[in-house]
Amino acid sequence: MSKTFLMAARHLGKTVSTQAGSLTILDNVDLEINRGDSLAIVGASGSGKSTLLGLLAGLDVPSSGEVWLEDVCLSALDEDGRARLRAGHMGFVFQSFQLLPSLTALENVMLPLELAGVASAPAQARDWLERVGLGPRLEHRPQQLSGGEQQRVAIARAFAIRPALLFADEPTGNLDSATGARIIELLFELNQSQHTTLVLVTHDASLAARCSRHLYLDAGRCVETAA
Amino acid sequence: MIGTPRLALAWRLLRRDWRAGEVQALLFALAIAAATTTAVSGFSERLERALDQQTTELLGADLVLESSRPAPDDWLQQARDAGLRLSAATEFASMAVAEAGLQLVAVKAVGGDYPLRGTVRIASEPFGPERPAAAMPEPGALWAESRLFAALGLQRGDRLRIGDADFALTEVLGFEPSRGGNLMNLSPRVLMRSEDLPRTQVIQPGSRVQYRALFAGSPAAVESFQSWLEPRLTEHDRLVNARAGRPAIGNALDKAERYLGLASLVAIALAGVAVAMAARRYSLRHYDVSAMLRCLGAVQRDIVTLYVAQMLLLGLSGSLVGAALGWIAQIGLVALLGELLPLTPPPAGPLPLLLGVATGLVTLTGFALPPVLRLRQVPPLRVLRRDLAPLPARAWLVYGLALLTLLALMWRYTADPRLTLIVAGGAAASAVSMLGAAFALLLVTRRLRRRVGAAWRFGINSLWRRGASSAGQIFAFGLVFMAMSITALLRTDLLASWETQLPPDAPNQFAINILPHERDGFAAFLEDQGIHSAPVYPVVRGRLSAINEVPVRRAVTKEEQDNNALNRELNLTWSAVLPEDNRLVAGRWFQETGEARPEVSVESKLAERLGIGLGDRLEFQIAGETLTARVISLRSVEWDSFRPNFYMIFPPGVLEVYPGSAMTSFYLAPGREVVLQRLIAQFPAVTVLDVGVLLGEVRRIFEQVTLAVEYILMFVLFASLAVLFAVLAASHDERIQEGALLRALGASRRQVRSGQVAEFALLGLLAGVLAAAGSEFIAWLLYTQAFNLEYSWKWPVWLAAPLGGMTLVALAGAWGTRKVLSRPPALLLREA
Repeated sequence: MSKTFLMAARHLGKTVSTQAGSLTILDNVDLEINRGDSLAIVGASGSGKSTLLGLLAGLDVPSSGEVWLEDVCLSALDEDGRARLRAGHMGFVFQSFQLLPSLTALENVMLPLELAGVASAPAQARDWLERVGLGPRLEHRPQQLSGGEQQRVAIARAFAIRPALLFADEPTGNLDSATGARIIELLFELNQSQHTTLVLVTHDASLAARCSRHLYLDAGRCVETAA
Repeated sequence: MIGTPRLALAWRLLRRDWRAGEVQALLFALAIAAATTTAVSGFSERLERALDQQTTELLGADLVLESSRPAPDDWLQQARDAGLRLSAATEFASMAVAEAGLQLVAVKAVGGDYPLRGTVRIASEPFGPERPAAAMPEPGALWAESRLFAALGLQRGDRLRIGDADFALTEVLGFEPSRGGNLMNLSPRVLMRSEDLPRTQVIQPGSRVQYRALFAGSPAAVESFQSWLEPRLTEHDRLVNARAGRPAIGNALDKAERYLGLASLVAIALAGVAVAMAARRYSLRHYDVSAMLRCLGAVQRDIVTLYVAQMLLLGLSGSLVGAALGWIAQIGLVALLGELLPLTPPPAGPLPLLLGVATGLVTLTGFALPPVLRLRQVPPLRVLRRDLAPLPARAWLVYGLALLTLLALMWRYTADPRLTLIVAGGAAASAVSMLGAAFALLLVTRRLRRRVGAAWRFGINSLWRRGASSAGQIFAFGLVFMAMSITALLRTDLLASWETQLPPDAPNQFAINILPHERDGFAAFLEDQGIHSAPVYPVVRGRLSAINEVPVRRAVTKEEQDNNALNRELNLTWSAVLPEDNRLVAGRWFQETGEARPEVSVESKLAERLGIGLGDRLEFQIAGETLTARVISLRSVEWDSFRPNFYMIFPPGVLEVYPGSAMTSFYLAPGREVVLQRLIAQFPAVTVLDVGVLLGEVRRIFEQVTLAVEYILMFVLFASLAVLFAVLAASHDERIQEGALLRALGASRRQVRSGQVAEFALLGLLAGVLAAAGSEFIAWLLYTQAFNLEYSWKWPVWLAAPLGGMTLVALAGAWGTRKVLSRPPALLLREA
């Protein structure tokens, strides 16, 4: 197996059983992501974008096929093993921000650092919040922040552990277009400066256009990959 | 992930949850469980200590050896070697001779070091105020009770003869420890120095004398001496320690203590339910956090550590706060019972605090652990798909653990596995039937919903929609209101009914110690005065020593070995006819055959407890002789008739050979007290006891004990409120959403508010109705089965419980949902 890719999916499939019988969500997807890539997974609602993201991030297990992170096969690990892998290598940005409502902005950003056992978590978290322009709002709780601000906190949290891979699920889906545009700017700017590999799920064409590679999904099948 | 940051994170999350009001319900419920435990066990411990202390003061020692012979020297030496202090008292009956006449007195001769515990109390004039005596009487001096002064017309300084010796009467004796507590020895008491005994020449070979050896020292020394002595005791000896010598009031307090224990258990169980509900909500509201943490790389163990640490912090703080509150509450409880308690109880040790904290933690573990542990199973994919939830905890695990916790706590109070299961089974059966009744009430209101106004309809619909939890709350509040109604009924109605149902001329005076030759004269005196009395029964004192040749201590079950009937002399009487209010339960009454056969009729409840049946041979020790009699009948007895009643009745012709006295009871109309004075003057040996005074005492005890139980019921009420708040919290989001929607749709604040208040008012009303029905039933059981009283409908309960319940729950509920209306609907809808 070639070692040039950071992440690879081989014959990846996901089926779930429903009352009406088994339902195929993803069917035989093959994919390689190289270090420094920015990949947009695009497709209509229900095409399996988020499922693919979940499988790549090890949040879920495939029904068939394998996911590799460098030379580690994610499917061979148990849930805790995948969690440890996430802790060191992956960051996440979600459509619904997913900040812990009971923690301040600073504490939210500190969270992954603390989970990774980083001693200088508060200082690093403060640093990251300043970089996303939220220096004056460290002690605010998510409830007291606007949607755009909450997503900035989420971005700071995602980059704080300096992940090799950053997964973003519809990062602008809950934002108005002007705010969404600013968030995209921030995301790509940090992605470049941190040399992060970005995997992004979206149906926002302008966002997809900023990515170096595109994967089109239709009813769980990969219909086209474009550079 | 290393330990310290994880704990710091746990702390931070908990602090934030606290600020967001997520954990208060849990904390409140835990605090109640801990507070109840600390209050009740603290009170029990203090009571226990106070009773022990009081008993040693009554005994005059830590341990008393009573015997018909002086204690052997080697026993006394052993006690000295064990480091105990010793004293001795010699007691006998003798005639006291004064210028004005004779009087049978109970003489106690003591050493200068008497008593070892407690004090002798004296007064300067008959019936005057008492004070502790600084020392014992000087040799040659005598102290006597007021009654002797009255009977013989004596004054301080007069001379009195006991046997061959002449004494100066120097003080009036109020009280001295280690009295033989039985009523038959109520001749006036006289205290003198043992140095004077030889002078009196009263004690001769064959005289009936009771020797007491008193011992006091450290508990360990007393205990080791007691275990050394016990195997050496003969049938002449009896050893009395603090426990055996505990006064009757101790039994009442023991019972009160057990009721308090069980009441507190109800509070703990309800608190447990509140904890479980709060924990469930806590768990539900932390799914997202757990999923996010898993997504960010936390392993299952991290999640467990994080939440168990939070629970532990929460449990410890809740329990500590609760234990502290419980500590204050037991001080209140002691103050409440102050008059009833023998003396100011010594402060409690640290054990009740520890028990309170432990109960809080055990309750938390038993009721909150399963839902909280479920958090580790939240799938990380939930960050992408909000509908994913962990599998629910297995029902048997949740309920099993809770049930086990309750059984363990219950066992602590009953200290008896069988009783625990019986109580638990009974509680479960009552709970099921009460829940059923609660559901039935809900059904009834549902039928009514078309006939009531909009607010009430809204309330009925809300209750019905959350049917299971509404029935649960009706049950919980119903239980509290019921317990409160019953104690209130007992305190006010029961005693009053008992008194009014006694015949107006029920005896109110007991006359005991009537000398055999005065028996006819005494009856004639009462008749002359136009006083109706019960028959004058002859009384011979005897101890039941064997059943079918088996010594009685071995013949009865272990639980019955402490039965009072075995540990003291019984009043034995004879009668040719069955006493008026006795009823034969088995066998036949004595037949007049002309020749006296040694037969006996036994009170049926005592027979049952001691395992005595028809045809059994009972052996009695009477005045140093043994009498064997065959049981030919069992009788039921009305103990509360205020007539003399007897465990053992013999046919005429059997007991007459033994020395004895007689007793009766009679009714003395108010205003005729002067008859008593004449009676005492004519029959100085007779002791008259005023039942009215005793009854007043009983009433006081009863009132204070029920007051104490009600006090503990306050904890049960708080626990029910904790359940209410937990339920409110569980439906809080839904209610706020609903309220906001209604207001967005144009409902006025008043409309939303009255709908909600109606719901709670209805809840309280139904709980009150359930409580009224339940207490009516239990009161009926108590009146007709336990107390043999006529029952009448307790209508005030049907007013007080529903109205009180409605007000209380409506207020609490309105307070719990105030947020629904105090914030703008748009904000609330957005938050949700």
